Amino acid sequence: MKQLVLAATASLVLGFPAAALEGPRKIVDYDIAVSFDPETKLVEGSETLKWTNPGDVPVGELRFHTYWNAFRNDRSTFFKESGGQLRGDKADTGKGWGYTNVTSMKWDGAELVKGARFESPDDGNPDDRTVLVVPLPRPVAPGETATLAITWKAKVPRVYARAGYVRDFFFFGQWFPQIGVYEPKGRRRNSDAGWNCHQYHANSEFYADWGDWRVAITLPEKFVVGSAGALVDTERTGGKKTLTYAQRSIHNFAFTADPRYVLVEDVFDPAKDIPKDEIARAAKTLGRSESDLLSGFHKVGIRLYLQPDHHAFDRRHIEAQKWALAWTGLWAFPYPYAQISIVDTPEDGLGATGMEYETIFTTLSLKWMERWPFNRIFVPEMVTIHEFTHGYWMGLLASNEFEESWMDEGINTFTESVMVDRKYGTYMSVPPGIGFKNEEMNRAQAALTQDHDPILSTAWKYVSENSYGRNSYPQPGTTIQQIRNLLGEEAFWKAFRDYAERWRFDHPTSEDFLDAMRASGNPHVAALIQKTWYGRGWIDFSILKAETEKDDGFTGFDDAGKPVNFDPDPRKKKKPKEKDDREKKGPWESLVVVCRDGDIEMPANVVLTFKDETTVTRTWDGAGGWIKYHVTSSSPLVKAEVDPERRTVLDRNPWNNARYTKKYEGPSAAAKGRTYALHLVEILLSTLWGVL
Amino acid sequence: MSATVSGLSAALRHRRLAGVLWLSLFASALVTWFPMKSLFAVFDEGAFREVLMKGWDGWAMLSWMTAESRSLAIATASVTGTLLVFALLQIFLTGGVLRVLVDGKPRPVFARVIAESASLFKANLWAAARFLLAASIWGGLFVAAPVALLKKLARDAPPHTLLPDLAFWWGIVAGAIVLLNVGLRYDLARIALARGDARNARGAYRVAKQRLAGRRASGIRVLLVWLAFGAAMQAVFTSAGLRMNPHTNGAVAGLFVFRQAGFYLLAMVRVGFWAALLVWEERRRPAYSVIGSASGGATWKLSEPIATSAAASARPETGSSVTTNGSALLSS
Repeated sequence: MKQLVLAATASLVLGFPAAALEGPRKIVDYDIAVSFDPETKLVEGSETLKWTNPGDVPVGELRFHTYWNAFRNDRSTFFKESGGQLRGDKADTGKGWGYTNVTSMKWDGAELVKGARFESPDDGNPDDRTVLVVPLPRPVAPGETATLAITWKAKVPRVYARAGYVRDFFFFGQWFPQIGVYEPKGRRRNSDAGWNCHQYHANSEFYADWGDWRVAITLPEKFVVGSAGALVDTERTGGKKTLTYAQRSIHNFAFTADPRYVLVEDVFDPAKDIPKDEIARAAKTLGRSESDLLSGFHKVGIRLYLQPDHHAFDRRHIEAQKWALAWTGLWAFPYPYAQISIVDTPEDGLGATGMEYETIFTTLSLKWMERWPFNRIFVPEMVTIHEFTHGYWMGLLASNEFEESWMDEGINTFTESVMVDRKYGTYMSVPPGIGFKNEEMNRAQAALTQDHDPILSTAWKYVSENSYGRNSYPQPGTTIQQIRNLLGEEAFWKAFRDYAERWRFDHPTSEDFLDAMRASGNPHVAALIQKTWYGRGWIDFSILKAETEKDDGFTGFDDAGKPVNFDPDPRKKKKPKEKDDREKKGPWESLVVVCRDGDIEMPANVVLTFKDETTVTRTWDGAGGWIKYHVTSSSPLVKAEVDPERRTVLDRNPWNNARYTKKYEGPSAAAKGRTYALHLVEILLSTLWGVL
Repeated sequence: MSATVSGLSAALRHRRLAGVLWLSLFASALVTWFPMKSLFAVFDEGAFREVLMKGWDGWAMLSWMTAESRSLAIATASVTGTLLVFALLQIFLTGGVLRVLVDGKPRPVFARVIAESASLFKANLWAAARFLLAASIWGGLFVAAPVALLKKLARDAPPHTLLPDLAFWWGIVAGAIVLLNVGLRYDLARIALARGDARNARGAYRVAKQRLAGRRASGIRVLLVWLAFGAAMQAVFTSAGLRMNPHTNGAVAGLFVFRQAGFYLLAMVRVGFWAALLVWEERRRPAYSVIGSASGGATWKLSEPIATSAAASARPETGSSVTTNGSALLSS
């Protein structure tokens, strides 16, 4: 029965994309057979690779990624850069090393391995073994397809950075000799043709060409396998099984195996799973009909490979996945594949968590988050949404993560915030109502911090891992939010969707996205892009001064020499000023000085609030460092505030955006804050009564 | 009358004593007032005043923590200092609180508690040190070492399976058991000091051991009942306080008073606990008590009848030679 279901699923998978995909330029075709021994962690593989020269000049050598050599020893570039730890996980420097050894590579009967050599194009590290250069006996002509027969042996590393094993859990990512990307002239705006095949760095992910895949995996029967693509064949012999998966039109292939997986299956049904209000919102904002927006949707099979101790998370991940499928389908374009596999990594293998591949990704479940009140922390949902959506900004719009990591992580951080905040509201909320939105958390890491790099840099050239993280994730995410605020909802989302539709199944570069944003002609957007993607721009609005005085006319001698508003007799004492002259009737003269620090120019509203509760709003274009407002009014000025709508999400210090003309007399937020803080201290102290 | 009922009754009767404990809490917390004042000043001067008066604002709080990071660091340091001061203050006050409870006179309280606390402070401080030492040793032996061993055994086991779960729950349960046992003995040692059953911490711990012999479980039950009372009280008032979310200065003052009432009730729970434990201990006292253990050989002395109020108040402040086997707690 299961076989029948699997076969049906397979036909569905292979059937759907034919209609849904518009067809990327397919450069590669992989047919791989791999077997591994879970005891020794040794892998043997063979692949038939068909590679088509996409350029208009002959290519005399091929370049391959042998990623697992990053875990070969502590001299690899990856290890040197990471220091043996990544994203909180540490390398096992005892038995945890791994490698990939290409044992044979034949083309037209000629063995190529003998002439192959490792190169380190990025850092010249002579000990790095992650880029294999294979000279060819004759060049591959433009448009010619070279069919290579490759065999290799590998050892699975213990997981600390994306791929590897822990106990019986295996995640195979970047696991086979994968050909680099030969970029013809003009691809990603390049002026020259050539190989784009970088070393494996601690702070970099991947870039590859589109193609079709067929992968046969041989392993012991007891393992449950989750994979990119769909299962098309199963064979069983001698306690082992061989599972064959196929997927068209992707550019990487990953799979996982663990005997403990519990498989949860569901189906995303557009008729039921797309919220009606979201359809209406998207149609209105994008200026398209609802039927137009829904036309590309189809059912998507969801397979969740859950750890048995995480059963409480099954609906949480599934619901998050369905929401992500609905949202991305409406605001970018419908997901073109027939299935998506979600892999729940074990809690002792978190190095593999939060990693994305096409049609498969790893997510996070932590048991302590399954019960009240911690089930209000929607981090598992956020990870599912985030990793799935990588399938768009890295997967379907296949950006070069080595060179432009923000294009995947940054756009993804932005869309993740929109999705998570819309569905979950305050996503870290313990106790209820007190917490933070996803966008606020990202904004805090971007706007409130200083850094030494622009957004745009190659992944391994940021000054630190923190800088890579900030400039790849929250900084571009928040800056895109800033662009959204500058353009307005309709213009922004139309530009956003145009970008997504234009570049799907292609390899966009930074300028392609930025051009889409600049297309509206908004000068502030163009300036913002220049200052942030290519510079370290920042901005801080503030009210430097807010004063108000009763206008009693002038003081001194008039033209006739008569004293006005003062007594010239030096023996008389000066009349003391009234304690609070704000009670007097007008007119009142007010002075407000608004400042903008930092090198980003941005328009902002300035709102002046008077005692009679009237307000005056002026828009400042942000040019120059400051602006003064002189206002004459019948009521005294109480407060001046710049950007009260908080549209400047990059504002480094939003607290100095308002100033009061005198000590405030109304309800005191400070007193409220102090009171709660005092109670917090008392709660903390009183817990000692339980011990002392 | 059960120990719990006696404790509740004493908590209601010794309201001033609870007041002293509440005052110690409030005064300690006030140490942080000035750093807090500087930390929160921007709430009234900055852009988020109105929104914070309405309630929680995540972005306001995140940006405030960054903008006021220095003030926040100072306030955090002051809270840490306050924790230490409060811990010492409780070690100090417990002796006086117990003496007042033993004597059963609800007033005068303040001066009495201070004077009695001062006389017992040195011995109580040693008792606290011994408590910490015992907690470390027993915690190391029965919690840390087994957990480390189980973790080693579970190194290749999947998470949340038998061995890792056993390590986790062993840590929690054994840790609680160790803390309850060590804590109970510490509490009984302090009672012994307050009653004058022993001159010093060493002797007091010996007396406490005798009291606990064979009756440990019921003593722990008393502890757990009052811990549960306290936790429930704290949860109710904290939750209600958060819901109040005051919008005016008057409402803020109301919140302040409401929370202090909560802490005062918590102090009453503390008094109730001590009273209940005194009753429990009293029922397990032999007809005679050991005193003078510090001098080496045990001196056996017949217990004296319950001290009258007058006799109690006339008692020398050091009080270490006075023993009772029944107090006003039971007779009242």
